[in-house]
Amino acid sequence: MNEVSPGLHVVGADLPRTDAIPKTTGAATYTVDVSFPGMLHAKVLRSPHAHARVVSVDAGDARNMPGVHAVLTRDELEGLNPVYGYFIKDQPIVAIDKVRYIGDAVAAVAAETEQQAVAALEKIKVEYAPLPVVATVEEAMAEDAPELFEEEPMGIVPAYGQGASGYRRIGRNNCYRFSYETGDASSFDDCDHVFDDRFIFSRDQHFHLEPFVSVARYEGDVIEVWTSCQNPFPLRKELARVFQHPENLIRVQVPYIGAGYGAKNNCKAEPIAILLAKLSGRPVRFCMTTEENFLTQSQHAAILDVKSGVMADGTFVARSGRILLDSGAYSDASPLVAEKAGYRLPGPYKWQHLDIDCDCILTNTTPAGPYRGFGGTQASWASESQVDIIARALGRDPMDLRMQNLKDLGEAYVPGESGLDSDLRAGMTLVAGRIGYENRESGNGRGMGLSVGFKDAGGVNKPAQARVRITTNGGIYLQCGTVEIGQGVHTALSQIVAELLNAPLDRVSYPALNTDYTPFDQGTNASSAVVVMAQAVQQAALEAKSKVMTFAAGQLDCSVEEIELDDWSIRKGNESHPLPLMIMRYYGGTGYEFTGEGFYKAEMDHSAPLETRCVSWEFGWGAAEVEVDTETGLIHLKQLVVSGDAGRAINPKVCRGQDEGSAVMGLTGVLFPCMVYDGAVLMNGNGLDYKVPLATDLNDGFVSILQEQGHGPGPFGAKSVGEGCMLPVASAIANAVEDAIGVRIRELPLTPERVLAAIDAAS
Amino acid sequence: MSNELVFVSFRLNGTDVSFHVRPEEMLIDVVRDRAGLTGTKLSCDLSTCGACTVLVDGKPAASCGTFAWQADGHDVRTIEGLAGSDGTLDPVQAAFVENSAFQCGYCTPGMIMLARALLDRNPSPGRDEIRQWMGANICRCTGYEMIIEAVQDAASRAGDDK
Repeated sequence: MNEVSPGLHVVGADLPRTDAIPKTTGAATYTVDVSFPGMLHAKVLRSPHAHARVVSVDAGDARNMPGVHAVLTRDELEGLNPVYGYFIKDQPIVAIDKVRYIGDAVAAVAAETEQQAVAALEKIKVEYAPLPVVATVEEAMAEDAPELFEEEPMGIVPAYGQGASGYRRIGRNNCYRFSYETGDASSFDDCDHVFDDRFIFSRDQHFHLEPFVSVARYEGDVIEVWTSCQNPFPLRKELARVFQHPENLIRVQVPYIGAGYGAKNNCKAEPIAILLAKLSGRPVRFCMTTEENFLTQSQHAAILDVKSGVMADGTFVARSGRILLDSGAYSDASPLVAEKAGYRLPGPYKWQHLDIDCDCILTNTTPAGPYRGFGGTQASWASESQVDIIARALGRDPMDLRMQNLKDLGEAYVPGESGLDSDLRAGMTLVAGRIGYENRESGNGRGMGLSVGFKDAGGVNKPAQARVRITTNGGIYLQCGTVEIGQGVHTALSQIVAELLNAPLDRVSYPALNTDYTPFDQGTNASSAVVVMAQAVQQAALEAKSKVMTFAAGQLDCSVEEIELDDWSIRKGNESHPLPLMIMRYYGGTGYEFTGEGFYKAEMDHSAPLETRCVSWEFGWGAAEVEVDTETGLIHLKQLVVSGDAGRAINPKVCRGQDEGSAVMGLTGVLFPCMVYDGAVLMNGNGLDYKVPLATDLNDGFVSILQEQGHGPGPFGAKSVGEGCMLPVASAIANAVEDAIGVRIRELPLTPERVLAAIDAAS
Repeated sequence: MSNELVFVSFRLNGTDVSFHVRPEEMLIDVVRDRAGLTGTKLSCDLSTCGACTVLVDGKPAASCGTFAWQADGHDVRTIEGLAGSDGTLDPVQAAFVENSAFQCGYCTPGMIMLARALLDRNPSPGRDEIRQWMGANICRCTGYEMIIEAVQDAASRAGDDK
């Protein structure tokens, strides 16, 4: 069934997205649009100190302010498990004993208007006893550094398989280490050359235009929350633990999401909205401002030390690495990001020995968490920069050296792992050809660079369930927990169902997500929808179809092999039998619904380092051409060619949007200032001072090429495309800069100051 | 904060409306909370990202940075006022649909209003002019190329109608 077939009519077609009309007419409902009679508005008092003991919180005056219905301080946390986190439970709903960064939540107010809530916050008196601050990873790791957590918070280290391990608190402010090792460490001894480089990675903020926002209310004992969240089921589990409330009495609903790029996982606005709803007895909306987004979640800045041993003929032999991730003030998803950054550092090359540690270092800054690329962006920046450094040192062309060392299609990534499901050399040749790499003129301020970004896709040990229902008249409901966060996944999964049921796309609906009746899913992340969830969806659709066919064959007194499903009729030879009549004849005039269930999870496998073999591998091939002004240090991006492999594109335009969107997002960390800290003070955390790429920052030299190599594990050979094309951008541009002016820059972003400093240092 | 209310009347998507507003009340609050037109989205709240773009007398305006009283006597159009009463999409909307020129959709109402204003000014802008004009608003999802193509397509559609 899922072979690449020329007969497909829905899969592979550039159909308009199923959310097109609501999103272009203003009808689409987002969490910001959810409103109830009597709904209150929440505002949060945030810490002005980067690190301080909270001596006292006096909210007495705030409670008497006009319009105020509830005030939340640490005194209101009694009876709860008031700290949350992914692996490590360390982040309180509001500060308990300490504040750990500027912006840490200290108290909250629910009032009839936002203005009243803000006015009440000003009446809350907080006494702080400031503590020494660690603003950077280096400061936090110093022997005499003050610790953000004097005691070890509750948490776990997950199980790992062959070669991988995890550790907690093995150094000052070190909240987690992921390690991976394979092969013989002595292989470095046999290498002709060893390269040791330090790379610095910038810290972007997701800058999703819809802020963190939740609306909560109590319906009797049921906690009901509408929220802009990409993993509602793990959120439900965490809320049940925090509020000590039965899971079946927590209802999470997810309207359209105004994007997240990773930020909208786990608790954000939800706990405060829910607790204020409980305290006030009214629905509460907590909608953060853009400034508060900057104080809630960021990408991980990173320091990456990479040592690579190679032979004189260019053969890659051994790589070791140590990555330091700036985790900010709470662990959040840092352990998971560390796992991925560490695991992805080798890149898709034929190494014989690997030895990598990735440490998460807590600092008194905004908590860092999931961000598109999930550690892979940091890893690809360092890995692909160093490949060019090696090539130049050996007098080799960087593309040629890559072609020599890239893994082959189907070759296992590391021992115990699955095989790579794209032809890496084909992608390399494609982008190099498009940009004109072979006949480029290097030097005199102009040059080209290449890169292949790399990550695994599909998450680790990720279960997904789906249900397909078909009504008497052929209406199809696809119920699954993958959220539409902008990526077009409702459209893609619906196209798969339509294809499998020989139905036009407009017969498929995708009901809004509600944890009360939507089948379970671990979350919309890790580029997993078309390689994990889609396999569950496929199974559900085929089971529903099988039930329809068995029923119809029984009614027509023939075998299933003699009939075909043709839209919502049964074709038997030259006869066409409409299904509605057949169904009502048997089940009665009110009809019936056929249902199919689907489930997918990669098998446990202890020989795989992450305990399941990676479902798929996501690549982004990039080629950049730059012109560098050596007087000003400005980099002018003349061309940027990116390419992803969709395996089989379910909807090519949607795939293109993912490739181009992720590439431009990747530009932020390269050519824009990113988050600028003065000590522990964020200097540009608002929509005016923070710069993200605009249409005018690009030109017609930016193109994407969609590959369909056909090797993906998803239905019809599909692969993920959500993150790949952001991975190669930084290194391709830095490699092009070296090609242009002979100077290697190892620190992002590539600001004019850094370019000029690198030129000065080289001369 | 003054407690005195200001009486304002203006045209909103072709209908005369009037409200008593607080002096500090912004146009976006009136549009969203009083008129119930939630298609217009608030994001940066600093008149820079353009998510809240509406047309005031045909010109794009950040409704988060426009006081409600400033709309008095003017003609305001929001995303809800673009399609015909029979649901026929404006050529800009149709082009955004068919070119997949949106993803999360949060910037889309603002982008569509911005593009509408451009085409009202110049029905056949070149690609560079479109890029410059659309550079006023932020989209964090698409990488902009498909938006630029949609505006080109919308211009050609409008041309075909004539």
